[in-house]
Amino acid sequence: MRKITTKIFAILAILIVSLSYAQAKKPTIMVVPSDVWCNQNGYMMVFDNQGTTVKIPDYKRAFQENSDLLAVISKINGLMAERGFPLKNMESVVKTLESESAENAMLTSKSGAGVVESPIDKLKKVAKADIIIQLTWTLNSTGPKKSITFNLQGLDSYTDKQIATATGTGAPSFSVELPVLLEESVLAHIDNFNVSIQKHFDDMFENGREIIIRVKKFDSWTGDLEKEYDGKELSTILEDWMAANSVKGRYNTSDATENMMLFEQVRIPLFDANGKAIDARGFAKNLQDFLKKSPYVIPNKLMMKGLGQAVIVLGEK
Amino acid sequence: MRKQIITTLLLLIASVATFAQSGKQKQADKATEEWRYEIECAGVGTDGTYLIKVWSYSKKPIIAITQAKKNAVHGIIFKGFSGDGRGCTSQKPMATNTNIEAEKADFFDLFFEDGGKYMKFVSESSDGNVDASDRMKVGKEYKIGVIVSVSKDALRRDLEAAGIIRGLSSGF
Repeated sequence: MRKITTKIFAILAILIVSLSYAQAKKPTIMVVPSDVWCNQNGYMMVFDNQGTTVKIPDYKRAFQENSDLLAVISKINGLMAERGFPLKNMESVVKTLESESAENAMLTSKSGAGVVESPIDKLKKVAKADIIIQLTWTLNSTGPKKSITFNLQGLDSYTDKQIATATGTGAPSFSVELPVLLEESVLAHIDNFNVSIQKHFDDMFENGREIIIRVKKFDSWTGDLEKEYDGKELSTILEDWMAANSVKGRYNTSDATENMMLFEQVRIPLFDANGKAIDARGFAKNLQDFLKKSPYVIPNKLMMKGLGQAVIVLGEK
Repeated sequence: MRKQIITTLLLLIASVATFAQSGKQKQADKATEEWRYEIECAGVGTDGTYLIKVWSYSKKPIIAITQAKKNAVHGIIFKGFSGDGRGCTSQKPMATNTNIEAEKADFFDLFFEDGGKYMKFVSESSDGNVDASDRMKVGKEYKIGVIVSVSKDALRRDLEAAGIIRGLSSGF
């Protein structure tokens, strides 16, 4: 009896310690030069897409050729690291992606088997972060005077919302060089930007993480989202599940047809019932399990994109 | 006998002057608590600092000058300051919780007491010299503008360590 009590106390102690040290999943942040900046400075790749000219930013060339860009990103990264929030360095991410692609192409097993990569896997291999800091600056000249208009935008990669901003024009100067003006701009704006980010994080801790969930169906599945279970359409059942499982029942059904549903502004808890930190995938996993069970018994495939987006495709794995 | 009277009188005058001084200091502290000061950007400070001009009120110019340091730190934590639109950028307050001053009153009472910890983060940039245009008589009081430099990064780190404000990575 005593042994059992001791064991129970030990388990409880471990559980309490693990819960008290539970940490939410930390979003990644990366500074990216904006399309406008890349276009103004000539760092674009131009394609002819069936008669339409398409321009795409050439980040690699921008990092290789523009030392001012490197200096600004380095300054922002340094200041954020000092605040205890190191950022992903885009130049390094691009290089890692390239080397990984080369390694995958060359990797074979002893029997000669290669690494499997589906078209979706290939599409997903891009430089990404949960929050993108979009950076733009413009050099203004009035006669011999120069000034910098500086703009930092914090964008949530999944909800497409602008969660932070800091913008302004510096003092005009006759003699100060561009790198000095840029450093002054970063120093002048980074604190206001961080205040906005902090508010976003405070809101997240109070009201849950905001995510997007898409539900789709494979064409091989005979059912659809209008199929009825106990007199209720599947789409209504999904909405009920969202209302019951999101924080304070907060979610929006932005789109719904018989083939797809889009749930936006879904507020999910940062931790599950066991105190484990969860993200969009962890939250959608519960929905996946719910749909697999009776009376629905719908096989489905769960895919994720970072911390804030999950896709469930009904009908098959 | 005469010697004793003179000594007593001198002591009386000294104590009255001290009380008057401490009364003025209390008034200045009350003005700080009632947000009776103004802060404006005075230029781009070096890395990790804010360069600001603080306008403080007191019947004694010397108290207004010393109170400027306290007001500077108080303002950066709770009030923020405005820019001039010519390169000087407005800054938001460090504390995002508007009730933090009342919620953590015990901490801030000690922090802002005379010679308190706030002194660690602020320095006068003009060695106590006040420009003639920054010294004004408003009614019975002086309004004095002093340029000070505040080590905002060190101040933020200290407040984060004390659990007064949240750090960017708090909770992750």
